[in-house]
Amino acid sequence: MQTDSAVEPVLRMPYHEFYLDDFEPRPHYRPLWEHIRRMGQHALATKAQELHLAMRTEGITFAVYSETEQGIERVWPFDLIPRIIPTAEWAILEAGLKQRVRALNLFLKDIYHEQRILKDGVISAQLIYQGKHFRQEIVDIDPPHDIYPHIGGIDIIRNDDGRYLILEDNLRTPSGVSYMIANRVLQRRILPEFFTKYRVRRVEHYPSLLLQALRHVSPRGRDQAEIVVLTPGIYNSAYFEHTFLAKEMGVELVEGRDLVVKNNVVYMKTTAGLQRVDVIYRRVDDEFLDPLCFHSDSLLGVAGIINAWRAGNVALVNAPGSGIADDKAVFPFVPDMIRYYLGEQPILDNVPTYLMTKHEDRAYVLAHLEQMVVKAVNESGGYGMLMGPASTPALRAEFAKRIEENPRNYIAQQVIPLSRHACYLDGELESRHIDLRPYVIYGADIDVVPGGLTRVALTKGSLVVNSSQGGGSKDTWVLAE
Amino acid sequence: MLSRIAESLCWMSRYLERADNTARLMEINLLYLVEAEEHLSEAVMWRPLLSISGSEAAFAQYYNATAITAQNVIQFMTKGPANPNAIHPSLRLARENARVVRDRISKEMWQGMNELWWMVDTRLKSALPPERAAAFYASVRNEVARFHGLTSSTMMRGEAYGFYQLGTFAERADMTARILDVKYHILLPDAAMVGSPLDYYQWAALLKSLSGFEAYRRKYHTGMRPIDVAQHAIFEGDFPRSLQFAVDRIQRALEMIGTAAADSPSRQAVGRLLAHLSHHSAEIVLREGFHEFLQGFLEHMAAFNAALQVDYFAAYLGAEPCAT
Repeated sequence: MQTDSAVEPVLRMPYHEFYLDDFEPRPHYRPLWEHIRRMGQHALATKAQELHLAMRTEGITFAVYSETEQGIERVWPFDLIPRIIPTAEWAILEAGLKQRVRALNLFLKDIYHEQRILKDGVISAQLIYQGKHFRQEIVDIDPPHDIYPHIGGIDIIRNDDGRYLILEDNLRTPSGVSYMIANRVLQRRILPEFFTKYRVRRVEHYPSLLLQALRHVSPRGRDQAEIVVLTPGIYNSAYFEHTFLAKEMGVELVEGRDLVVKNNVVYMKTTAGLQRVDVIYRRVDDEFLDPLCFHSDSLLGVAGIINAWRAGNVALVNAPGSGIADDKAVFPFVPDMIRYYLGEQPILDNVPTYLMTKHEDRAYVLAHLEQMVVKAVNESGGYGMLMGPASTPALRAEFAKRIEENPRNYIAQQVIPLSRHACYLDGELESRHIDLRPYVIYGADIDVVPGGLTRVALTKGSLVVNSSQGGGSKDTWVLAE
Repeated sequence: MLSRIAESLCWMSRYLERADNTARLMEINLLYLVEAEEHLSEAVMWRPLLSISGSEAAFAQYYNATAITAQNVIQFMTKGPANPNAIHPSLRLARENARVVRDRISKEMWQGMNELWWMVDTRLKSALPPERAAAFYASVRNEVARFHGLTSSTMMRGEAYGFYQLGTFAERADMTARILDVKYHILLPDAAMVGSPLDYYQWAALLKSLSGFEAYRRKYHTGMRPIDVAQHAIFEGDFPRSLQFAVDRIQRALEMIGTAAADSPSRQAVGRLLAHLSHHSAEIVLREGFHEFLQGFLEHMAAFNAALQVDYFAAYLGAEPCAT
């Protein structure tokens, strides 16, 4: 949100996580605030420098791809001031997330089997069949234990009255969880004194929860589970995370070329010959998984892996086809799914979202583009987006044309002024917009690690928090009772 | 272990060793030149370094053939870009391979690799004049040594460590043989010259290029004799940069990896390397020809590298699944 006076009156003051209106800290931030005042900001400057060196040494970096830069290596921009979530707030978030993921899983099972929700007219069949991530090929396949999105990353924001709202679901290969853990490790190392006034819930057991969930779906049983993490390779921007998770779980990190399928069984090629694989935590998209099935010119995939999955000889995590549940045009129906499958009221609401396939929604959005965020339904990482208040008339005209041409491909959401948080930037405490991505693991139970990744829009006034677009992150503290 | 990972471990240590050897050669040559009395041209002084890494042709293509100056060779052997064996690209590849095997090496090793990389990459953003270059090469050697130290004290002994050792010692055996071949040829172009008055400094530089000068002095009190230098650099099993030492370590590494049978191609190839050494002595080498002996050794090394492919890196081709 730029200081565009024509737009400003439409937007209300964003919620401030750290300060009350009069620039006093909120009660749960007071001990931290007092500590920062006592130590002085120059002490923070030293800490910031230590931090930068530590991250370079540890290779906590990611590659940025843009038109001008090919895979430039950047240090993960970590902000020194932690975000704090009080116990009671977290209890609501946790319950809401579990409810949501349970419903999304039932939706996926239904969509790839009976399709009751379509027959009952809750969601239009056309909307689903037009979804880019709907996979006709996998209808009637039964994944182990009927679980599809074993790992979900749900993006949550806070609106101007401080209410948590769901911004989007990420159910294909959500990334960032390694940064959640790296942030905690860095925070504790650089500023251990911050922790003394609080009881912060731990997050570093995430990989062991993940390992349990992966073992749970092993076709040969949890005690005979050869698990691998499948990465597109070292040039993928999330490669750091892939190595991190493989190492933490103590399993092999493989590329497509390390795997081979024989008689519908997946093997990895080792120095001692072929070794059977039971569970593949794949961090490659559906399209690149199996050249025989989805994308014939892919070099990344493993020929025959979908047949091995269909035969029940290997578990793929997340299950192929899960992407239809995080299609942004399906997103507005998630509250309906919760009511339909669980008979419950949604605990967490969606950000109000307009479907461009609905005539009245589209007319409204086109008339109010400068107040809208328009998103392409299958993009992620902040690509293919129109941020209305910060856009030029030419860009708005361009998006209006694209929406008219292919309404199924776009949705619009009201610009929500994301809540703000104090950040330490260039020697000062400044306010920046943030969001939250908690990670939900669906194994024998549904688990949510307390907290998640708090992403920060480091550019002043920006509402885009993606790391590929100049975003950073904070350690996220959920307080113990 | 995944074949791809095994191969990357090998290449990681191989590229490190290559950078280390290049840095040592450059450093010694620079220091030697400071006091050169012989009025040799720069081209004569620096051409051997290009020969050792087999990059004379690449150099001539990039610069012109008459441009063998200290500054150009420093640029070529350090930064590249026309030379893939230069220090900077070697270390970049070492780090890329370390990234591939990130989940197999210790945190300390990964950190050490990053520190090494950032030191070199940052330093090479500015020019490297000959009078500063020796200090830079010394710091490269120090960082590589530190990395080996971190490896030695933090890495589990086992298959992965075996492949790491293989890469190090295969490269070292190769480099030692090439250094000896090129330098010996210059020092003694004709076998008849053996026994003639020797250039003490040149022989000392050769030993220093192998970090073996002090050990040699301690052991041999009769001055710089080609037969003793050959004995030391080729057959001395306790000298860490000798051919004998490198081949012994390769054999041990194979034992540590332990998956190939005794009659596998790689075990047989190592056997032939050991036989090549044990069937020769310093006397025989000097009598029958240094160059011929070293070429024979390098051929056996090439056969060994090919055998690694068969036994470990491409072992799965057509293989039947293990019984698990």
